[in-house]
Amino acid sequence: MDTQSYVSVPPGVGMGENFLSLDDILLCHERLPIRTECIFPRLGFLEKSSDMQDIPEGSKMELPLWLCKGLYERKKRVLSVELPKVYREGWRTVFNADPKVVDLHKMGPYYYGLGSQMLHFESPENPDIAQTLLQTFIGRFRRTMDSSQNAYNEDTSVLVERLDCLEKALFRSGQTGLHSFQNWEKGQASQLTASNLVLNYRKRKITDVLP
Amino acid sequence: MDPSEVEFLAEKEMVKIIPNFSLDKIYLIGGDLGPFNPGLPVDVPVWLALNLKQRQKCRIVPPEWMDVEKLEEIRELERKEDAFTAVPSPYYMELTKLLLNHASDNIPKADEIRTLVKDIWDTRIAKLRCSADSFISQQEAHAQLDNLTLMEINTIRSFLLDSLNCMYKLRSNLLPGSNKGQFTDY
Repeated sequence: MDTQSYVSVPPGVGMGENFLSLDDILLCHERLPIRTECIFPRLGFLEKSSDMQDIPEGSKMELPLWLCKGLYERKKRVLSVELPKVYREGWRTVFNADPKVVDLHKMGPYYYGLGSQMLHFESPENPDIAQTLLQTFIGRFRRTMDSSQNAYNEDTSVLVERLDCLEKALFRSGQTGLHSFQNWEKGQASQLTASNLVLNYRKRKITDVLP
Repeated sequence: MDPSEVEFLAEKEMVKIIPNFSLDKIYLIGGDLGPFNPGLPVDVPVWLALNLKQRQKCRIVPPEWMDVEKLEEIRELERKEDAFTAVPSPYYMELTKLLLNHASDNIPKADEIRTLVKDIWDTRIAKLRCSADSFISQQEAHAQLDNLTLMEINTIRSFLLDSLNCMYKLRSNLLPGSNKGQFTDY
């Protein structure tokens, strides 16, 4: 059985985030195109392209997701968030037509995560985005399943290179199932092996142990 | 669940052996076994049968279904039907492996049986994948898993559960305000 030195926290996937999930931490650094709706006084030094003291109203820039979520408020109109290209009408049509051919790793790599996070920002397109995310996942499910359950003892990098991070995690769990079954079938399950934890220990020198 | 744990459960299945020693009834927590008389068939759990066999104290009588003709019938039926057909034993895969690995000299046509069981297994796994796919694509909420064995469920369990989790979360996005501001503690 797989023992790791720590239990990795799975990503939150939906609108919520898991604070300790590495994937979600990376996800909240994705940049979003925004437009300021009011003056940001004395923050002009952040914008390298102009040497004004303030960031004026209506300027366009890119901010990371975590900052957008913090600054965004429905009533106060501090900034408005524009949809990234992949979630707009044009790409949505592509996803609805055939989700299997799209390279989600290039588009994302947090296509589903970021898409769900976009629902925090009010937009008339939100229901369509949510629907497209779900349909894309369903459409690509069969391929993820088949490749993860059939690729045994071969190089999987070709299979996973076009998958979103979420699908990669699924692929890995499918592979663990396949590998543990194949191990059992070959009779390797009955052999005792050292735990991963023990293998990862470095050799200690006596001088390190003594006080 | 690990496949070896499923195998462990399978070892509780009863199998007929013909001992070549004599011993009184033995009393175990799981039930009484024996008495053992040379040449008289007796029912014992697989774990005991394999242990006795390894010490050459018995001959294992293969279960009724472990027979080339019967398995061929099952294979044809499995290929013809769309749904899962009833399997001869809830632990057919595990028992075949255990018995063929340890007592292949007591089972006639062991190699053919191995191939047949593997064929049945492959057909069923392909069906399982098909039904998992239609389960996801039709966004069903529940499924009935008739005639599926533990080992078969076990191979796809972690993948299917993770996928269903993801799908549930993506689907709850459709309902606005359903899980806003909800945090999971770790």
